[in-house]
Amino acid sequence: MLCGATMASMQKRLQKELLALQRDPPPGMKVDEKSIQASLTQWIVDMEGASGTLYEGERFQLLFKFSSRYPFDSPEVVFIGDNIPVHPHVYSNGHICLSILTEDWSPALSVQSVCLSIVSMLSSCKDKKRPPDNALYVRTCDKNPKKTKWWYHDDNC
Amino acid sequence: LCSLLPQAFSASQWSAGDGGDTDGTFECNICLDTAKDAVISLCGHLFCWPCLHQWLETRPNRQVCPVCKAGISRDKVIPLYGRGSFGFGDGGFQMSFGIGAFPFGFIATAFNMNEGRDAPAAAGTQQQTDEQFLSRLFFYVALFLMLWLFIA
Ligand SMILES: [Zn+2]
Ligand SMILES: [Zn+2]
Repeated sequence: MLCGATMASMQKRLQKELLALQRDPPPGMKVDEKSIQASLTQWIVDMEGASGTLYEGERFQLLFKFSSRYPFDSPEVVFIGDNIPVHPHVYSNGHICLSILTEDWSPALSVQSVCLSIVSMLSSCKDKKRPPDNALYVRTCDKNPKKTKWWYHDDNC
Repeated sequence: LCSLLPQAFSASQWSAGDGGDTDGTFECNICLDTAKDAVISLCGHLFCWPCLHQWLETRPNRQVCPVCKAGISRDKVIPLYGRGSFGFGDGGFQMSFGIGAFPFGFIATAFNMNEGRDAPAAAGTQQQTDEQFLSRLFFYVALFLMLWLFIA
């Protein structure tokens, strides 16, 4: 019974988020409607690098996966597709080192606020390069970035 | 006062509605729906009590406001009683009672017991009068039968 109830509340909230994003999307951001399953547990968001930044003109895809405990549980968010941004906090397998995706997650955050944080993370970058431990991490990490014990650095690269 | 009533009524209806096109002021910061059993934190953020309770359970060691990260605790939230929310909503209260008593437990308990006792028929309604009449009728029938047995 509890399981059914949490599932319903998770879908209700995702439905609201989806509607708001479709009605009033932030600039350069678009939910790929074809990617969304009936259960709403997985979405792909297309985004563009902000103009005036090192990522201007580039297009990226973010894959969101939601557990039945969303929004109490953070979504799993990775870059997918053939353009993974080159950035000191983005590994070449698409994993992102961003504290709001794990320990600083809050249920008041949303798909939209996660996307905006990622855009601003990219926008503040001054030197396009992979994280120093990229090769080792990509070889040894779990498929799910939430299983990684991230060490968050405050530097804005 | 009378002329104000219809307006107040329509306003409470509006806020009790689906909340689809409201400006978000009375929406819970967690489920994004109109807040049920609304509580407000000391930092001023609004939540449904069931939603906030679940969040506090999720991170018992680090209880912070989901919106502004200020410290938050279950004893320091203020319940809000709007005009439309007098009876703890339509079944919403029962749910919050199941997963953790409403912060102001004694009022809640009084309500709950009261509701339980009067549930089949509220005092003074036609139905209750009928029930009283029926139970009195049964009593007299039983009394008559006993007397009849006694005499016979
Ligand atoms: Zn809520
Ligand atoms: Zn707050």
